[in-house]
Amino acid sequence: MSDTESSLLEVENVSKSFGGVQALRSGSFKLERGEVIAVVGANGAGKSTLIKVVVGVYPPDSGEIRIKGRPIDLHDHSVSRMRERGIEVVYQDLALVPNMSAPYNLFLGRTPRKWGIFSDKKLMRDKTREVLDQLNVRTVQDLSRPISDLSGGQQQSIAIGRAIAWGKEIVILDEPTAALGPNETAEVERMVEEVRDRHGTSFIMISHNLDQVQRLADRIIVIHHGVTSQEFTRGKVTADRLVKAITVGE
Amino acid sequence: MTDNATKSSIGGFLTPRQVEWIRDYVPFVAIALVILLFWAISGDRFMSIRNWTFIAQQTPVLMLLAFAQLIVVTTGSIDISIGSSLAFSAYMGALGMLWFGDGGLVLGIVAGAFVGMVNGLVISLLKIPSFVTTLAMLIIVRALVIIISDGSSIYMTDGSVSGGTNISSVAAPWLLSMGKFPAIFIVAAVVAVLMWIFYEKTLFGQQLKAVGGNEKVLRLLGINVTAFKIKVFAAAGVMVGIAACVNLARAGAATPQAGLMIELDAIAAVALGGTPLTGGYGSVVKTIIGALTLTIVRNGLTIAGVPPSWSQIALGALLIAAIAISLNRSKVEIVK
Repeated sequence: MSDTESSLLEVENVSKSFGGVQALRSGSFKLERGEVIAVVGANGAGKSTLIKVVVGVYPPDSGEIRIKGRPIDLHDHSVSRMRERGIEVVYQDLALVPNMSAPYNLFLGRTPRKWGIFSDKKLMRDKTREVLDQLNVRTVQDLSRPISDLSGGQQQSIAIGRAIAWGKEIVILDEPTAALGPNETAEVERMVEEVRDRHGTSFIMISHNLDQVQRLADRIIVIHHGVTSQEFTRGKVTADRLVKAITVGE
Repeated sequence: MTDNATKSSIGGFLTPRQVEWIRDYVPFVAIALVILLFWAISGDRFMSIRNWTFIAQQTPVLMLLAFAQLIVVTTGSIDISIGSSLAFSAYMGALGMLWFGDGGLVLGIVAGAFVGMVNGLVISLLKIPSFVTTLAMLIIVRALVIIISDGSSIYMTDGSVSGGTNISSVAAPWLLSMGKFPAIFIVAAVVAVLMWIFYEKTLFGQQLKAVGGNEKVLRLLGINVTAFKIKVFAAAGVMVGIAACVNLARAGAATPQAGLMIELDAIAAVALGGTPLTGGYGSVVKTIIGALTLTIVRNGLTIAGVPPSWSQIALGALLIAAIAISLNRSKVEIVK
């Protein structure tokens, strides 16, 4: 099967347990190019574990993950490998280093070098400005300040900017707007749609906000007691039906 | 401006930015006040070329050890083995010179790097906190020096005297002259410039601060922090090795007792320079000021005739006062 025929990402029956507790029993889903999918479920249902297994934070106990039809070697499955494949995550707590600047955070783990031992600060500043412009964020004036000096929304922009700058294929958003107000939430949603439309980036979104999920996601995957139990297409599910699927698993 | 910064304005008289500015300059103000105080107390006995030459000779070893500590402290760890490592490195450097000639001094730097690397390996791979690991290494390495040396010293001579049958000595007039002013000062200045470039400008220096800022984030993004920490302790070890060579030149002997308790001075110098022991921030220039302040205070108290025990109390009080003023609490979330 050629790259273009197969799904961008296929996750099949992955499982993960921690010290005898099975956090994920069987996680399966597919992601197509340019698609936004949402993974929803109750607290402790296994959403975060599923995502962390996919991105290489935890190695799965069993199952298979394929990218463009090619199975990945789960013995060599790590965050850095997945980042090399163009898969990035925006974590709920943003995963930013508070005492470092926005450009440093944007290039975390990928800092461009000059003469082998120095970082190319000009390139980092220019690229950060470019990414923020791409997201239509014009409020971050001084890029040399520690990121802890920026507002919550600005920090969110940097975290999303990092993901879209390097996540050429897939960006995973783990509760992207949980800590944001309505205006900032709308801004994040605008960024997701803009990046998807402009670059064809695929998104996987974990969210408790069902309104947001129904607004943004093309498909909704429900995870219940560690199993991806149901799948719905946008516009073809009512809020009540979704709540029932999440809480009762039916 | 952040809430924390707003809270830190003093009684509403100063803006947060002014408070930040003052805090940044505390080490410089402190050293100026210390100099003025001892000048007022002891006059020309303190402010003489002879005394300042002495201070310039005394400071480099402490400054280099403070650099080693700064490298480690910036990542949020600590290395209290550096006193023993100094003695071990100096002894290995002297042994190297006995075995291989002048070039054998490099063995001192290799020995320092080795101790640092062992520290890093134990901390990173066995996941034992740096305080416990380096405390154990403080004891082990000191014992190792005593075993290797059999309790005796190796002396550096200018070649005009030869040791007796029971004395190990190396004719190294060049090294002895390196231990005197101005050579020792020039060596220290060159290392300080290189350290500034390494700490402030390189990617490695940036990563030191990032690890101290939030190590968990780096791990989450797939950065190999374990390997980096081994390099951090090894780099600090190289700096201890350089300090050991400078100490060998200054003292003219490698003794098993060298560097006893000097780790505490190195930590104090870093703290006086305004670096929080929780990591994430630091300054090479302010660490130099911290080491210099400590040396000047010791020197000034001695010249003023203050008994050694009272000097220790004064140094402790100075340390607490300087840190209380200079520490930016908005950048330190938890104090343990």
